[in-house]
Amino acid sequence: MIRLHGVSLVYPNGTRALDDVDLEIEKGSFVFLVGHSGTGKSSLLKLLYREELPSGGEVVVDGVRVDTLRRGKVPKLRRNIGVVFQDFKLLSHKTVWENVAFALQVTGTRTRDVMRMVPRALDLVGLSHKSRMFPSELSGGEQQRAAIARALVGNPKLLLCDEPTGNLDPSNTTEIMELLQRINLKGTTVVVATHNQAVVDRMRRRVVRLEHGRILHDDERGYYFRGLGQTAVLPG
Amino acid sequence: MDWGRLRFFLGEVLTNFTRNAGMQFTAIGTVAVTIVLLGAFLYVRETIQTFGTGVLSQIEIAVYLKDDVDDAKAKELASKLAGDSRVASASYVPKREGLKRMKAVLKDIDTSLLTTNPLPNMYKVRVKDPDSVQNVAAWIAKDPRVAKADYAADTVQKLLKTAAVLGRAGIALIALLSISAAIVIANTIRLTVFARRREIAIMQLVGATNMYIRMPFIAEGMLAGVLGAAVAIGVLALAEHQVVPKLAATLAFVTFRVNESTLSVELLAVGAAVGLIASWVSVGRYLRT
Ligand SMILES: Nc1ncnc2c1ncn2[C@@H]1O[C@H](COP(=O)(O)OP(=O)(O)O)[C@@H](O)[C@H]1O
Ligand SMILES: [Mg+2]
Repeated sequence: MIRLHGVSLVYPNGTRALDDVDLEIEKGSFVFLVGHSGTGKSSLLKLLYREELPSGGEVVVDGVRVDTLRRGKVPKLRRNIGVVFQDFKLLSHKTVWENVAFALQVTGTRTRDVMRMVPRALDLVGLSHKSRMFPSELSGGEQQRAAIARALVGNPKLLLCDEPTGNLDPSNTTEIMELLQRINLKGTTVVVATHNQAVVDRMRRRVVRLEHGRILHDDERGYYFRGLGQTAVLPG
Repeated sequence: MDWGRLRFFLGEVLTNFTRNAGMQFTAIGTVAVTIVLLGAFLYVRETIQTFGTGVLSQIEIAVYLKDDVDDAKAKELASKLAGDSRVASASYVPKREGLKRMKAVLKDIDTSLLTTNPLPNMYKVRVKDPDSVQNVAAWIAKDPRVAKADYAADTVQKLLKTAAVLGRAGIALIALLSISAAIVIANTIRLTVFARRREIAIMQLVGATNMYIRMPFIAEGMLAGVLGAAVAIGVLALAEHQVVPKLAATLAFVTFRVNESTLSVELLAVGAAVGLIASWVSVGRYLRT
């Protein structure tokens, strides 16, 4: 699904966010991208949906060379990738339903299909009963579920989540992580960038650990810190 | 037709438009002022042109024939002149007729001293297109029977030149005004774009094409341009209604015959074009960065 080969990313100001990264992610897998703040997690995700272009190396997503992709082809790539952020990025003047429908409407989907696809996505994230509410009337967890519905409404093969639980309390965090697992079980490849150690250690999924823009370790059923469960590093 | 899609699009345009109402008001006003001036200019120009063409078409070429050309030979020239497509009319004035006319004009002056007729036989030629006066006169002058072909050269040329200079100055002024109107619209659209940067970011994220992202803003710019033009047309119609009857009374020799509906369509098109170009450039710059 995803293949990075010798990828580096140097921002115009000289910051080296990624340095010679090699990474492969199988179709249908669930992967954590972890590391402290500023180690390049967001940068790596941005390369996948072509928000940034690598300074060197190859980026392939679902068989498409993203690093050499023509400008005009970017929309098609992005319709195949759902992206979710820490701050939800919902439109405050639109209802939940309108926010989710927006993703379809602006990509020229027929109204008939919009009417069919939006309820399905809202049902998947369990927000059908709040579809007429505005984001400000929802809890953080519900807002994030609305954002996930928007990311998934077009049936993308890949879901990228950048600190999806960064603004949420523990119970909402658990809810969202369970939802992401459910989505993954339905066949969507899910990549979650997070520095939430508790979440990572509880889920025991593949963990790719970044440090200073390089891959420090990459473990199946891993922990945030290699070889250590969460309890081992809890203070006191 | 997918009405849902159309409604969504128009809803987006309307949201944009009303969100920026104050700025839109300024944009519409600027366009209106520009187009009022443009309309007045076009109106005056058309009136002057109609008037000028009328005057110019009155201008005659006086063709003086050589002394040895008698009436019979002069008739041959008539068919040559009449055969040319540029010539509207050619009337023959034999020398006795000319003398009679001169005596009629100079009736208070004693002309009995004239023992012979000093006037040559002549033709008075009118052309169809006033611009061709010079060429036609030169062509006639080349004829061996013709001594001289005169026309009010200076007057004609000065008139044409003045009209051309006025026209160019007017166009330059209108161009400047259009540019400033376009800048105001572009700034308005930039504000809308800024107000909608979150929407734009999401549209880009979910894979909307740049063309699609652009469209509501283009529509918004065109709407401002068209509304401005509509206001201007209203002002112009009112002005025409108030002013022209008074002018027509004073300037009886000028005919006010302007095709208002054609002019209105032209002005609306100018408004739409200014809005289109301004918003296109404005959004284009945002999307590229
Ligand atoms: N647009 C940018 N311009 C310059 N530097 C950037 C930009 N975005 C991120 N960085 C820098 O790149 C490094 C990696 O950032 P990021 O990928 O956001 O890390 P993370 O998501 O792991 O916190 C940081 O040092 C950050 O300051
Ligand atoms: Mg980050």
